[in-house]
Amino acid sequence: MSSVPVHGVDNTHENPTHRAPLVLNHDDFGSVTRDILKVNESPKPPKSWYLSLAISFGMMSMLGVMIGYLVFTGVGVWGNNNPVAWGYPIVNFVFWVGIGHAGTLISAILFLFRQKWRTAINRFAEAMTIFAVICAGTFPGIHIGRTWLAYWLFPIPNQMDMWPQFRSPLLWDVFAVGTYFTVSLLFWYLGMVPDLATMRDRVTHPIKQLAYGIFSLGWRGSMRHWHRYERAYLLLAALATPLVLSVHSVVSFDFAVSQLPGWHTTIFPPYFVAGAIFSGFAMVMTLAIPARELWGLKDFITMRHLENMCKIILLTGSMVGYAYSMEFFIAWYSGEIYESFTFINRAFGPYGWAYWIMVSCNVITPQIFWFKKARNSIAVMFVASLLVNVGMWFERFVIVVTSLANDFLPSSWGVYEPTYVDVLTFIGSFGLFMTLFLLFIRYLPVLAIAELKAVMPEADPHGHDHDEEESHE
Amino acid sequence: MPSISEPQSNGKMWWRSLDEVAQGDAIQERLNDEFPEGAQDLLASGKDRRHFLKIMGASMALAGLGLSGCRRWPEEHIVPYAHRPEGTMPGIPEHFASCFDFGGVSQGVLVTSNDGRPTKIEGNPEHPDSKGATDGFTQASILDLYDPDRSRGVKYKGEASSLHAFAEWADVYLPEKGRGLACLVEPSSSPTVQRMKRTLKKKYPELLWVEYAPLDDANQRGALAHAFGGNWRAIPDFGHADVIVSLDSDFLGVSPTQVPDTRGWAKGRKPDSHTMNRVLIAEPSLTVTGAKADERVAVKPSRVEVLAQAIAAKHAGLDASGVTLTSDEQAWLDLVNESLASGRHGLVVAGASQPAYVHYLVARINEAIGASGHTVSYRMLDNATDATIQELAGAMDAGSIQGIVIVGGNPAFNTPSELNVAERIKSLPMSAHLSYYENETSSVCKWHVNQAHWLETWNDGQSVDGTLCIGQPLIEPLFGGVSDAEFLAILAGETVTDSQTLVRATFNPSADSRTPAWRKAVHDGVVAGTGNLEAPPVNRNPFTPSSTKTAATEICLIPSGSVWDGRYANNGWMQELPDTITKLTWDNAALISPKTASTLGVKQGDVLKVTVDGASIEIAALPVPGTADDVIILPMGYGREFGGRVAAGAGVNVYPLRSSATTWSAPATVASTGDTYPLATTQMHFDVNSTPGKGTQERLPMLYREGTVGQFEHDPAFAQHMGHSLHSLSIYEEQQFEGAQYKWGMSIDLSTCTGCNACVTACHAENNIPIVGKDQVLMGREMHWLRIDRYFAFKDDGHGHYDGNKLDSVAIQPVTCHHCENAPCEEVCPVAATVHDTDGLNVMVYNRCIGTRYCSNNCPFKVRRFNYFDYFRRDPLRSTGLLQVQPDYYVKTQSGGKTLRAMQFNPDVTVRMRGVMEKCTFCTQRIQRVKIATKNAWVKLSDAQKAEDPRVKIEDGSIVPACAQCCPADCIVFGDLLDKDSKVSKLHESPRSYTMLEELNIKSRSKYLAGIKNPVHEPAPSAGGHH
Repeated sequence: MSSVPVHGVDNTHENPTHRAPLVLNHDDFGSVTRDILKVNESPKPPKSWYLSLAISFGMMSMLGVMIGYLVFTGVGVWGNNNPVAWGYPIVNFVFWVGIGHAGTLISAILFLFRQKWRTAINRFAEAMTIFAVICAGTFPGIHIGRTWLAYWLFPIPNQMDMWPQFRSPLLWDVFAVGTYFTVSLLFWYLGMVPDLATMRDRVTHPIKQLAYGIFSLGWRGSMRHWHRYERAYLLLAALATPLVLSVHSVVSFDFAVSQLPGWHTTIFPPYFVAGAIFSGFAMVMTLAIPARELWGLKDFITMRHLENMCKIILLTGSMVGYAYSMEFFIAWYSGEIYESFTFINRAFGPYGWAYWIMVSCNVITPQIFWFKKARNSIAVMFVASLLVNVGMWFERFVIVVTSLANDFLPSSWGVYEPTYVDVLTFIGSFGLFMTLFLLFIRYLPVLAIAELKAVMPEADPHGHDHDEEESHE
Repeated sequence: MPSISEPQSNGKMWWRSLDEVAQGDAIQERLNDEFPEGAQDLLASGKDRRHFLKIMGASMALAGLGLSGCRRWPEEHIVPYAHRPEGTMPGIPEHFASCFDFGGVSQGVLVTSNDGRPTKIEGNPEHPDSKGATDGFTQASILDLYDPDRSRGVKYKGEASSLHAFAEWADVYLPEKGRGLACLVEPSSSPTVQRMKRTLKKKYPELLWVEYAPLDDANQRGALAHAFGGNWRAIPDFGHADVIVSLDSDFLGVSPTQVPDTRGWAKGRKPDSHTMNRVLIAEPSLTVTGAKADERVAVKPSRVEVLAQAIAAKHAGLDASGVTLTSDEQAWLDLVNESLASGRHGLVVAGASQPAYVHYLVARINEAIGASGHTVSYRMLDNATDATIQELAGAMDAGSIQGIVIVGGNPAFNTPSELNVAERIKSLPMSAHLSYYENETSSVCKWHVNQAHWLETWNDGQSVDGTLCIGQPLIEPLFGGVSDAEFLAILAGETVTDSQTLVRATFNPSADSRTPAWRKAVHDGVVAGTGNLEAPPVNRNPFTPSSTKTAATEICLIPSGSVWDGRYANNGWMQELPDTITKLTWDNAALISPKTASTLGVKQGDVLKVTVDGASIEIAALPVPGTADDVIILPMGYGREFGGRVAAGAGVNVYPLRSSATTWSAPATVASTGDTYPLATTQMHFDVNSTPGKGTQERLPMLYREGTVGQFEHDPAFAQHMGHSLHSLSIYEEQQFEGAQYKWGMSIDLSTCTGCNACVTACHAENNIPIVGKDQVLMGREMHWLRIDRYFAFKDDGHGHYDGNKLDSVAIQPVTCHHCENAPCEEVCPVAATVHDTDGLNVMVYNRCIGTRYCSNNCPFKVRRFNYFDYFRRDPLRSTGLLQVQPDYYVKTQSGGKTLRAMQFNPDVTVRMRGVMEKCTFCTQRIQRVKIATKNAWVKLSDAQKAEDPRVKIEDGSIVPACAQCCPADCIVFGDLLDKDSKVSKLHESPRSYTMLEELNIKSRSKYLAGIKNPVHEPAPSAGGHH
């Protein structure tokens, strides 16, 4: 690997003898810090930031109004009905939890696998995870009939000696999502400590100094600090890795453990995990593409990063596609009339349109990433990532609604139609997500500065030796 | 009072500490201080005021923080009895026999009263028709008592007046001798009303007495008057008939005689004891009778007469020249002839809508086949009318009528349209109307007198066979008001007009309230042995056939299964009751066959314009398989203009199409208007060849198992071989219920369930189930704990394609909570709000439920119901705008808000708030009541007796859930499965017994008995259906 600055280089090559650079146009650490913190340190953020924040905040306020109306009036303001007792709220919950999946995958699993390209995206992917889980967590809380008793879902000791019912997957959900949120938050924060210290050292406003000072936990960058930090990070990564698999497996148990045709499927845990990674990466891409354009992060989130994400989307999209076809195969192979009906009905029944949106977005769209041209086209990537987001929302819709709408007894079959409250609440949750994300971009280090520096050739004191060794491999 | 330290002279001694025994000074001091140490400081005034305020402030702040101090409790007024009435025990319900008149037949009931509030109506077991069962209307009539819209006072020209003023007016202004005065009444079986009629006629000899009801048996009476001379009614006995031929007679459907007719029919359908009658029916609309019939043909209304002629020709030797039949009709006729020839006890019945000629033919056929006197008898009625409604209208036109007194009924709404009765009444100088509601007729009458509910006054009447019934009130009139007999007595200027004296004087003029016979009659509600049935010979005088001609398109008016002729339109339970066949709530619709729908190019909810003789209405179409092609079926009674808040906006008034010439059916033209109207059905309609439609057909034979007599005789356990059941293991340790004392179970006989809906209404009344309104039914949120599933089965062409025009059979299946032992709902609830009790009942703990609705998702029967709103606080809305609740929702008081409505609530059943799940409990409150009583009795037994019955066995049949109690066909049986001799245990062991969705390993406590049909020819065994 060359140690000279790389200018306008295509780092998407597939030459295994030549390690592609992960940071472009930078050959010193100072400029990296400066360029990344540009977003935080400019005296005034760009107008687009204010505009997006205003819109997002408006949407978030709408979410507040909708929740208020819901709590005062009753969950009947939604479209849920008797066969379809779960509608948008649970669809949205699973959707957001799925989005929240990529963060841990990138930070933990890719870390353990030494995928160095993760450093450019892990910070905001983790932030996205936290915010998505916040959005997800909102829904089960407001979805229940008596919101004010939601705390009964937690095992809080009480005078009645009344515990939650531990066989219920909903309770497992509470634990799984709670654990996931806690670990993700810790992981995110821990990784941010050196960068917060950097910011503490650079900001001039006393309040900012105080705030960053408190949150950087007295980080001085000593060898001992780094040693402890790396250990803790590795341990947390190891701890978080099973969570990548567990959280969405447990979410899938909500469905798989029940006996409803279309839900009662053993394929659900891996299928949900693959789908969650799929949707998580799509969301990372959806956020990264505008972010790198608007805030000049193209040197850090390079084409190679995006291409790698495209490859993961292609992989997980195909896994999801395999799961879809396997569900059909098993439904037919089981010879179970209820099961096979459910799947035929999904594709050709009253909700067939939703099914075909799902298939075209989730299975067909990612196939374009077989082509390098598509993997290197920002426009194609952006559109595809949006479509995957849409498709993954519809996947949850198809699973939740079509299975419930037509179950065992045809007499109780029904249709589900969302009300405006459903739709506005869902839109409002994007407001919450975007508001948090915009605040994050402005006030916290958007990329892992310290880690990025570590993947630069300059970080390797023996870079030139290394380069030679590699070329002999 | 002795001082604290003073030792007691006797009894056990108790000390607070050893110091007290030692009588130390310190303890004495403390004992004598009323308040503890710190509190003493608070009491001191002056310098400690600050301290006192500090403490008070802190306690108040704490009270506020804890929010317990901020709760607004409902304000309630409790009025205790000054003297407890004899024989009552607060909290223990009492039962009183009573009766009321419906369509000229007295319905015997047993009313439950909770602390003076009538809350539930059951059938009177002593009553010859009821025998403990009721129909749906009877169940629902308790709600009418507490209807906030009921009339609350006497009005004169819209201004509040008094009964006294009305009596004075009647005394002064009614014309001498009654010249020009008419009295329009509804047919009534009440001897007191007949007596009052005679009294009234004595005072006003020229009074014109007119009986009218839109749904009466005038055609039959006309025919029987011709056949026998006099005023007769035919009383069929379905219980003894082998072959029942129904000419458009929906005898299992709603009618005043629904209960005895259904019981009789069910008595003849016991495949286990090899008793199977056969029902053959020709009808235009698919009725419940048609749905349960063994052979059915759908014909236009006008064709029924032709079929009657053909049957009469064959069996009674009448002339039937010129009768031509279609191939379908001929095929059905052949089956009728074959069955009547082979059956020992035949019976032919004709519907009220058939012309008099058909009824005459039926009387002739019944005589000829030997049914008369065996399976059909006749009863002479003593009520007679001086004129028909048409003659009355004519007299009004001629000016010979100046005044009209209307007793009950609603002639301005439901009389033939061309008579324009409303306008005519309005133009009369004198008009008075006794009515329960201020309805369409009240609005055109000068006087409106509010009628008392039958639970508020004394009544009498006669059952189908003429047995005298006495009805007592259970509550003082809530808003004053008089009964019809009292009203007539006031008109007649009687000095004594209280209903008890009137009814008792009819019973026996010399009886007083202590006469034993009277007391027994009141107690029993009936006077046994007063029935009288006859079988006179039929007159052979020639009878002219009706002039009906078959038209290209015909309308057919039918009574509504929910509101009858419109009188139950303001009853929320009935409005929300899904019609057995159409599953429609809150509206009526034009029922058409799928073929007619495709000819007209309409689907469910498309508005049709139906025109008869220039009059037209616009009504939404609802295709129903089994309806005769080119016939528009129109249920009556909807579209009330002055019906009350519940009735307002419900359905379309079809009476404008009903003239004297077209009472039941008429040629019509019909066209689609292009508009649409939402119809709230509780079951969805899918095209039979769509994916869901095919899916339904495919699984139907497994859900609703039905076979023929031949199949049953060949393999009694055929139903158990129709589905797969894998005996799988549960992932969790299955509930074993070891040591359980009881094991409650239910059995539902699909052979005899007609889907009459009485159980659904009874469940409403018993379990405080809310109504939700049309907008919520449209969203699929109806709350019925017990529902009746209805499926249409179609013939398969062998290649997976079904013919939606060829109805094969109709499945009617009541579904309640099955109380699964491996309940899927229980293991998914995160807060353990649905659990098993020790008897194995699957119970809901309402105050633990947080409303995740997961249980509902996991319930394979989808019998769980969720309170999406506070349905008792929210008025049932027809449609909602942007906001789902009315502004007054938030200001209504806490517990239900509507105090009048709340009086009906069963105090043993919690009224559920919003956000909680609910479902059938097998009437756990009834189980507990009997269990407690049985255990209390058991405890008093000697040890030896206790050892004999360690399980505290509960006598079979002593616990009856509300649904089973009212069922006229006795098809719901409940009991203890641990008791091997109980009826339900035996039924569970029956070869016909099967468990729905057994393959899910849920171990239902509820089983079905497969339906058995008795077709004339056994169908060829098909490839499908068996596994």
